[in-house]
Amino acid sequence: MHKVKIMFFATLRTRAERRSMELEIENHLTVAGLKEILIAQIPALEASLPSTLISINREFAFDEELIPEGAEIALFPPVSGG
Amino acid sequence: MKFPTIFSISEEELDLNKLLDQITLTSTGAAAIFTGMVRGRTTRTGKAQGIHYKPHETDHLEYEAYKPMAEAKMLQVAEEIREKWPTVEGIAIVQRIGKLYPRTPTVLIACTASHRDTGVFDAARYGIDRLKEIVPVWKKEITPEGDEWVEGEYFPKPGE
Repeated sequence: MHKVKIMFFATLRTRAERRSMELEIENHLTVAGLKEILIAQIPALEASLPSTLISINREFAFDEELIPEGAEIALFPPVSGG
Repeated sequence: MKFPTIFSISEEELDLNKLLDQITLTSTGAAAIFTGMVRGRTTRTGKAQGIHYKPHETDHLEYEAYKPMAEAKMLQVAEEIREKWPTVEGIAIVQRIGKLYPRTPTVLIACTASHRDTGVFDAARYGIDRLKEIVPVWKKEITPEGDEWVEGEYFPKPGE
């Protein structure tokens, strides 16, 4: 097991009703696996997950990727800056 | 020779003159500067960043960023520009965040080069288009009718 930090931005922050959280996860957990855990803990996230982007250590991450130890994870909608 | 690259998320007013000065070398003869500002009155119907919009009024926008990743992605955009247009000399990419009112500049992308026919116009255009795809910044629009987060529509691929 190891601890990761998860941050939420924009609509995801509103849905999760928090800016960040810490989570103890098992080794060799994938991004897809993390999504399942998050939905179980915060059901309000489920509706927006299909259009949610996830980053690990400030790079875009994808379902099959493994989450490294001590990862900095963020969930957010497609970007709308400019 | 090392060309200047400026990239930042800022809560300060954008100083366009200062930014231009920072990317102007003695060899520079041309600069393409794009800046976007908050539009208080939208008159056309269209689609931008995934939102279908109609003519409407905007009171203000509230921008937020995932700052360390946003700045890393801005540097990546600058590197992509240099790869595509090796003649570009200086690059500035700055996004202002916070509560911003109509007529206020929110973003600046500027590229300099020795001459105007070197691709600087295209380079600056690419920069703003790319920022709107991969730099993690979001805005909430506050209108007389209520608040709404604007969400983009671009899904980055592995390696982006």
